[in-house]
Amino acid sequence: MGKSWLKRQSLLGYAFIGPNMLGVLLFFVLPAVYSFYLMFTDYTFMNPEIHFVGLDNIRRMLGDDLFYTALRNTVVFLLSVPVSIMLAFLVAAALNKSVYWKKTLRALYFMPYITSGVAVAFVWMLLFQPADGPINGFLRAIGISHPPGWLSTTESSMFAIDIIWIWFMLGYNMIIYLAALQEIPEELVEAARIDGAKPWQIIRSVVWPLVSPTTFLLLITGLIMSIKTFGIIQAITQGGPGSSTTVLSLFIYQNAFRYYEMGYASAISWAMFAIILLFTVLQWIGQKRWVHY
Amino acid sequence: MENVKSNPSEAAGGAPARRLRLGEVLKPGKVLLTLLMSAFALLMVVPFVWMIGTSFKTPAEVFQYPVKWIPTTLHWEHHIRVWTGPDGFATYYLNSIKISLISTVGAVFLSSLAAYGFARIKFKGREPLFLLYLSMMMVPPQVLFVPKFILFDAIGIYNTHLALILPGMFTIFGVFMMRQFFLSVPGEITEAAFIDGAGHFRIFFRLMLPLAKPAIATLAIIDFSWHWNDYENALVFLLDKNLFTVPLGLQNFIMENTVDYNGMMAAATAGIVPMLAVFLIGQRYIIQGVAGSAVKG
Repeated sequence: MGKSWLKRQSLLGYAFIGPNMLGVLLFFVLPAVYSFYLMFTDYTFMNPEIHFVGLDNIRRMLGDDLFYTALRNTVVFLLSVPVSIMLAFLVAAALNKSVYWKKTLRALYFMPYITSGVAVAFVWMLLFQPADGPINGFLRAIGISHPPGWLSTTESSMFAIDIIWIWFMLGYNMIIYLAALQEIPEELVEAARIDGAKPWQIIRSVVWPLVSPTTFLLLITGLIMSIKTFGIIQAITQGGPGSSTTVLSLFIYQNAFRYYEMGYASAISWAMFAIILLFTVLQWIGQKRWVHY
Repeated sequence: MENVKSNPSEAAGGAPARRLRLGEVLKPGKVLLTLLMSAFALLMVVPFVWMIGTSFKTPAEVFQYPVKWIPTTLHWEHHIRVWTGPDGFATYYLNSIKISLISTVGAVFLSSLAAYGFARIKFKGREPLFLLYLSMMMVPPQVLFVPKFILFDAIGIYNTHLALILPGMFTIFGVFMMRQFFLSVPGEITEAAFIDGAGHFRIFFRLMLPLAKPAIATLAIIDFSWHWNDYENALVFLLDKNLFTVPLGLQNFIMENTVDYNGMMAAATAGIVPMLAVFLIGQRYIIQGVAGSAVKG
């Protein structure tokens, strides 16, 4: 077990990891490094000459009204995450023990999540048709004479997308909650019941605190996943009307592949990385606090 | 809602709590909640029902109110139009199947191999390398699109399926997931094989891979659905219509037929229903896989 054994182990280790590492280096690490470099250049696809421009792109971003619009839209979009989580918890709590047909219902709630976001986007586009779509048809039928314009007005479009996203993510969050609910010791719930707690009180004061680590995990991973979301929004609105649904991910795409401002797009994409980093740090801190409930 | 009369002494004595759940009698509270949750579940699937219904309607029936859930006569022509022709969904499906299948097989094999290396072999540089992998998980795809675009253009795979397949064969998430599994296999299982003179490669192929079947199935399902639903990469890296995958082909159809609502819904049905069928058949594995991956990951 001398030096040669160690060397052999290293060789073996790299033999296993090598093929994957090669791809990770080529398609993840190298592009990331290159993008970091591009952030400080004036690179556009049309002009292959690259100049180093220092912090110009970052300065431009911080002075760009559209960047702040994109940030605000992103915040409105991310509001859907906690809403979806709350709804999913209620559904999971109901489905866990106290309904018949549990498996069928679980499958129905989960269905949107496995479908292609782009395909459901187009269905919602028609459902939300302001003039004669079925949603506004229903709202008029129950007496709302001026239903919202949903995706067609700058005021309501982001909220319409929130509704779609809540609907889309609900099943996923529910599945994770159902798994977490399995872990709750039955004695605790029974003890509360014996003490005379109502089902609603049990859910609020016993179950909800017990699943707080799961809630926290879903919140952070949901925020990270949602901030990266692109397809479902791009497919329906391409960021419009105006720039009312241009979230950060669309703003980056537009700069890179519509205006070919790739240096600038790189700078914005690293701003997005910074936000994800922040969420991840929050997760580390939170996990430490929530190791034991 | 649950009017369970329990015997305190029994529960306090640590008796199995199962006894408290009353037998097969229908409980009114449970029935009520089932109805409520079913109604809400119906609301979740209403968009799909409406989509399929509309794909069989006439243009005049699309926005009729009250909604006509089942059209008077089934109009198949929208579906026929969507599936056939040079830019038909038949082509998109073949492209999607090819890309998703090759990517998934490659990704599952390569990440299992790497995961075994990370989990079971001690070597120099393992920890920093793993940290590099970890940090790459935080980098959003938006950071990588521009450099990948330049790279693919330079090596001549832009606007080919290789631009999706090659990067698709590498998943950092897969390495994490499989590493987690290999770490959980007790050392005694492999020790006996080592004593018999087997090397790491034999142990990996003969012992670990067969043991990992459930984890592999989970990863394969998750990875396949990623590739199948992947819209961004196809949008950025594919140009020619005959190369399009299902999500991109769907978008293309809708861009070209903006007022043909029946056709749009037939196209959406073509994009969704086969996946729904797969889900309904394999739902137990899919749900287990999704639940397991998040709790561990």
